Amino acid sequence: MSIVQVSNLRKSFGDLDVLKNITFEIEKNQVVAVIGPSGSGKSTMLRSLIHLEQIDGGSVSVGGQDLVKEGVYANHQELKRITSKMGMVFQHFNLFPHLTVKENLELAPKYVKGEQGDQIAQRSTELLKKVGLSDKANVYPSKLSGGQKQRVAIARALMMNPEIMLFDEPTSALDPELTGEVLQVIKQLAAEQITMIIVTHEMGFAKEVADKILFMDQGEITESGTPEEIFMNPKSERTKAFINYVLK
Amino acid sequence: MMSMDYLFTITIPMLEGAKMTILLFLIAVIASIPLGFVITLMVKSAIKPVAWLANFYIYIMRGTPLLLQLLLFCFGLPMLPLIGEYLVLDRFVAACLAFILNYAAYFAEIFRGGLLAIDKGQYEAAQVLGFSRWQTMRKIIIPQMFRVALPAVSNESITLVKDTALLYAVAVPELLHFAQTAVNRDFTIIPFFVAGIIYLLMTLILTWVFKQLERRLKFE
Ligand SMILES: Nc1ncnc2c1ncn2[C@@H]1O[C@H](COP(=O)(O)OP(=O)(O)O)[C@@H](O)[C@H]1O
Ligand SMILES: [Mg+2]
Repeated sequence: MSIVQVSNLRKSFGDLDVLKNITFEIEKNQVVAVIGPSGSGKSTMLRSLIHLEQIDGGSVSVGGQDLVKEGVYANHQELKRITSKMGMVFQHFNLFPHLTVKENLELAPKYVKGEQGDQIAQRSTELLKKVGLSDKANVYPSKLSGGQKQRVAIARALMMNPEIMLFDEPTSALDPELTGEVLQVIKQLAAEQITMIIVTHEMGFAKEVADKILFMDQGEITESGTPEEIFMNPKSERTKAFINYVLK
Repeated sequence: MMSMDYLFTITIPMLEGAKMTILLFLIAVIASIPLGFVITLMVKSAIKPVAWLANFYIYIMRGTPLLLQLLLFCFGLPMLPLIGEYLVLDRFVAACLAFILNYAAYFAEIFRGGLLAIDKGQYEAAQVLGFSRWQTMRKIIIPQMFRVALPAVSNESITLVKDTALLYAVAVPELLHFAQTAVNRDFTIIPFFVAGIIYLLMTLILTWVFKQLERRLKFE
């Protein structure tokens, strides 16, 4: 059974229909890359999955539980429980600037889950090692490079042991020479078979890491398939044009 | 007249008066900062009448002179029909109330500005990590808000030190009162200079304290 199921998702901002009729499924352990021109609704779609946006119609279920069913949301507690299965990484990191790296990682496990201090400390040490920032534990985010910040943000999300990780253009705010270190961490997660949905403009990365690609255009998923299908034999002219444009 | 002895004899009572100044300052700062924050939360409240009430409060307090409010609390309240007789407060107490209520409105505006400076990404990050609204405020938003607001709070506190001189108008014997008495009695402006120096010392210490606080909370 699919870990994420989205059907007929609709969302508008005022008069603007941003998501028109989004339907897709994601299997457990799949890595899905979402590509498409800017303004096509990729972020809004991703944010809808974790309830950062309120959708106007359709259904979203995560781990077999309905977040929204035909436009009707689950109750507050259910929402919390379902969204807690997901972790999210933002384009602009959104680290807590008043807390050190270690504190950024440990705040949620401590206050949201009420976990034990030593247990949390052990995990934060492990995760910082994993993202290659063991030496930055006691540093404030203002002292980190963009790439380091994003790696901290990834570790912070992983602290909550999510079943699914959502990434919204994790490297778009970075200088080109810093994207590699972040993509490397995400690749590592892919190798560990963590289910991920990644909105990205890094086509090479999408091709390499994704099991499935969704191409979005003007609020719709106009094409989906394996990287080979999308990159080698795009069916629609729009997809073809976009791929040609970004690969150029 | 300008002997050390003379300076000494006028400075002692002025320092006595400065005690009153400092006491008022401390009471006003300690009470109006938390009260101001509560008002900020009220302004931000989803319950509209609560927000209106808080905005109206800020409007009244900032839109009228502190001196008027001071006179009202010290002399006006007892004149109210029916309840007036229960509102005859000690004049210092009445003055403290006026200062607290007035400054709370200014601090509320400062904190509101501090909240506006916080990126919405902070709320979103908190939400996806599962923090409740209250945890988000307490652990993530408020600490950042205080940091952002600190320079303005510092500035407002310095204004408060100087505003304590308004006690003069309601005849509570503070620093300026003793200076004025000495000036009238001895026909010299020296006491005014001494008073000025004492105010400067107080604001100097305050500035230093806030600078330390700002350095502590640099998050670097
Ligand atoms: N909060 C919002 N209010 C109004 N319009 C929005 C809002 N967020 C996004 N939009 C609009 O929705 C469309 C899709 O945006 P977005 O999901 O960010 O696209 P993408 O991530 O693919 O670039 C854009 O036209 C954008 O201007
Ligand atoms: Mg986007």
